[in-house]
Amino acid sequence: MSTAAVAVPTNSVGISNLPNQRYKIVNEKGDHFTIMVCGESGLGKTTFINTLFQTTLKHQEPRRNNGPIKKTIDIDITRAVLEEKNFKLRVNVIDTPGFGDNVNNNKSWQRIIDFIDDQHDSYMRQEQQPFRKIKFDLRVHAVLYFIKPTGHGLKPLDIETMKKISTRANLIPVIAKTDTLTQQELSTFKLRIRQVIETQEIRIFTPPIDESILSNGSATEDNSAAIEHARQLIESMPFAIVGSEERFTNDKGVQVIARKYPWGLVEIENDSHCDFRKLRSLLLRTNLLDLILSTEEVHYEAYRALRLGNSNEENKDSSIPINTPARKLLSSNPHFKEEENALKKYFTEQVKAEEQRFRQWEQNIVNERVRLNNDLEDIQSKVKKLEEQVKNLQLKKR
Amino acid sequence: MTVATSQIPIKQEDMDGSLGINSVTQDQSNDLGNSNASSKSMLENNEQISLNEFERQKSNRNSAIDSNQVLSQVLPEQPDLRIIRRKITNYVGFANLPKQWHRKSIKKGFNLNILCVSQTGLGKSTLINTLFNKNIYNEENGSNIVNSTTDNLDKIKLEDDNNTISNEESAENTNTDNVSSNNGNNKHNSSNGNSESNQPNVRIESVSTIIEENGVNLRLTVVDTPGFGDSIDNTNSWEPIIKEVDSRFDQYLDAENRINRSVIEDNRIHACLYFIEPTAHFLKPLDLEFCKQIHEKCNLIPIIAKSDILTEEEIDSFKRKITKQLQEAGVKLFKPPHYELDDKETIKLTDELYNKLPFAVVGSTDLVVNGEGKQVRGRSYPWGIVEVDNANHNDFVYLRDYLVRQYLEELRERTNNELYENYRSEKLTKLGINQDNLVFKEFDPETRQKEDKQLHEAKLAKLEAEMKSVFQTKVSEKEKKLQKSEAELFARHKEMKEKLTKQLKALEEKKHQLEMSIANQMTSSPAQKKKGFLR
Ligand SMILES: Nc1nc2c(ncn2[C@@H]2O[C@H](COP(=O)(O)OP(=O)(O)OP(=O)(O)O)[C@@H](O)[C@H]2O)c(=O)[nH]1
Ligand SMILES: Nc1nc2c(ncn2[C@@H]2O[C@H](COP(=O)(O)OP(=O)(O)OP(=O)(O)O)[C@@H](O)[C@H]2O)c(=O)[nH]1
Ligand SMILES: [Mg+2]
Ligand SMILES: [Mg+2]
Repeated sequence: MSTAAVAVPTNSVGISNLPNQRYKIVNEKGDHFTIMVCGESGLGKTTFINTLFQTTLKHQEPRRNNGPIKKTIDIDITRAVLEEKNFKLRVNVIDTPGFGDNVNNNKSWQRIIDFIDDQHDSYMRQEQQPFRKIKFDLRVHAVLYFIKPTGHGLKPLDIETMKKISTRANLIPVIAKTDTLTQQELSTFKLRIRQVIETQEIRIFTPPIDESILSNGSATEDNSAAIEHARQLIESMPFAIVGSEERFTNDKGVQVIARKYPWGLVEIENDSHCDFRKLRSLLLRTNLLDLILSTEEVHYEAYRALRLGNSNEENKDSSIPINTPARKLLSSNPHFKEEENALKKYFTEQVKAEEQRFRQWEQNIVNERVRLNNDLEDIQSKVKKLEEQVKNLQLKKR
Repeated sequence: MTVATSQIPIKQEDMDGSLGINSVTQDQSNDLGNSNASSKSMLENNEQISLNEFERQKSNRNSAIDSNQVLSQVLPEQPDLRIIRRKITNYVGFANLPKQWHRKSIKKGFNLNILCVSQTGLGKSTLINTLFNKNIYNEENGSNIVNSTTDNLDKIKLEDDNNTISNEESAENTNTDNVSSNNGNNKHNSSNGNSESNQPNVRIESVSTIIEENGVNLRLTVVDTPGFGDSIDNTNSWEPIIKEVDSRFDQYLDAENRINRSVIEDNRIHACLYFIEPTAHFLKPLDLEFCKQIHEKCNLIPIIAKSDILTEEEIDSFKRKITKQLQEAGVKLFKPPHYELDDKETIKLTDELYNKLPFAVVGSTDLVVNGEGKQVRGRSYPWGIVEVDNANHNDFVYLRDYLVRQYLEELRERTNNELYENYRSEKLTKLGINQDNLVFKEFDPETRQKEDKQLHEAKLAKLEAEMKSVFQTKVSEKEKKLQKSEAELFARHKEMKEKLTKQLKALEEKKHQLEMSIANQMTSSPAQKKKGFLR
């Protein structure tokens, strides 16, 4: 009889091994993670995505047509299956067109909100099917909101958009193009943004700190290090970032991704230059699971409850899944609405033209009636006159 | 005859200059300024119609699929997407995710619900106590405790024995079970009665407890089924047990479909320990039938009870026979998976563990001193000591590896991803819920845009056709109306003119006659006077 499987202390039940089982299962299954960037146009969102991939995939081939990055016009998804230490993570990065280009930027967040809702909706409807072993999940786990480095504060559009996002997904505000701010300016700017976020009650994602570990004395070195790291992340929020796709050699002779100015090199992965590494750490290292779970347990559930609560008042607690119809979309394409309006306008005009014609026609009828009436009246008066004459004649005759 | 009546009457509504489109939208205003607004609202109305129409077409399409009986998940054609695949050599850190799960899982705690099925006295209570190293079942007065802690609600249920308890009721039962099971040991008792008295009376009893080991908590629930196989006629004696397993699935399904599902407790049975009597012959028909009934509803773990009364050879041949019988009956057992990182040795051990099934076990919580002078859990016989934790003596350690140490989480995964899923699919299909495979699609903005465009164009075309048709009918109606009033006008005019002309003619005639007669009078009057005078 083989004995190797048995070399565990005999009196233990083996419950302490359960977390390791979970580890193995997760490790085997891999996972997926979806982030989205959004914010005003030209703040370096597309650049940031490229930076993220370049710093992640050291041997990323350069972009095909190495010209300047074009303005993003449509939602664009980059999909990658990355493998680190045998763990596979599918990463979806969603680039969105910047907003704020129009004179009236009312509802310019609509496409972003629609995208997030769409993904929740799609997942919900997959989940409702009787057979659902394979599901496609593009629920957004983190939304990076790019703030213009004005040094002043947040614009009403920023506030409105961030509020909308924060009720649907994990919102992570970042300060874009930080290389335009001095350290002094940056720290005042950060402070200001934090104040606005607080007074406007915008819920942003913050790394959770498990205070219970500290208070119940079960803090291990590992735990307290994690807590310290979380504290540091929270203190640096909103993260100040710089994006670049180019590599330069710094004064230590190391190749780094950076922006080159006559007065120096802005190194992306240098903590004293910007918070890029902190942000990447939060996203991909320390808080990946928090982001995933809060999306599934809080944001997705909230969306689902709202949808089901609205559409099915009467069978609230039925055991039968409610097959929700597809979300009715007011098409996100403004061009479509225009076409529709043009068509309606065309018909309205036709209607008007016809109405004009009928009015004319009716007028003609009225005129004709008047003319005919006159004609009749003519005869009538003749008749009257004759009647008179006849009467007279009759009198005369007597 | 008066002048007024000679006017040609014209109906006011014909003469308001509008196309009468207002009446569609019940907007009665008819001045020029409003005609624009009212025709717009007509268009919006049509838009709604077309959307409804679209929905209907969609559901028609769905029902077309239904008639083809799609009873599985068939993925629609997926968009062709570029996916970057890369192995990362530098440190990024997402490989940390399993570790984050590790930490999280400790915080959340674990749970396991086991179903124990056997004939009386095969050592269930002893084995459970041995497995979890805890006095979950008090051997001396076990049944007393079950009865004494039974609350009123359960007593009512017990007295109700003769009525078949419906699914919902037993679901409720497991609910009360949850509520009360938080504080340590807790015994709970319910039963599934049958209306016919000759039917076996199998009861369902569950015990919950929390076991902690090195800061890891396991919430354990053991569901016992006293009475199974004890009747003279055991036909359908598995039914109450299957019902129990199903009702736990139903309860979970219910919870999953609820709007608020922030707290979903998993009370599904994750494993069923089936105790086989150590006869060394074959599986009895009841054993086999039960295994067939249960193996698709929970992870079946067949074990040969009290295997210390069988020799090694007897066990080997008994195991072979059982395995063959189960295989022939199509009974599937959980097979421990191979992990990507497993080395050859690990793979070999994993397969060996599987090949040990059915586990021939011995249970005992008694401590005895073995030949080497060590205190061990075992049974002491004059001819020697059977050590529970000795793999050379029996398969207990393998069972523990399979059920707890190595694969508890995998058993739960299989319960959730396969067994429950299959149960759910079947149930929903039976309830007539349609599978819409079109929702299973990789999201692609480009495809989405194309679909959007098609949808939009269809909608536009429909809108145009509808507006056109409404427009045309309204125009031709109006035209007809006007033509009619025109014709009426002329006709009436003609008629009246004729009448008048006639009248005129008659008058002229009369006048003429009168004039004639007066003229005559004038000429003949002297004679007449004369005549008069003569009279
Ligand atoms: N100074 C500075 N310039 C940057 C930074 N990141 C990007 N840029 C430059 O800003 C310009 C716009 O960058 P994009 O990445 O196209 O900006 P975007 O937010 O994707 O713009 P839209 O697609 O229009 O929304 C490019 O010329 C970038 O090189 C940065 O961190 N600092
Ligand atoms: N030979 C032998 N006897 C055992 C073993 N396990 C338990 N027993 C004995 O069998 C008897 C019944 O054990 P229990 O654990 O109470 O059996 P049970 O299946 O829970 O019984 P019920 O709850 O009444 O159905 C006790 O006397 C135990 O000591 C075993 O592995 N080998
Ligand atoms: Mg862009
Ligand atoms: Mg017992």
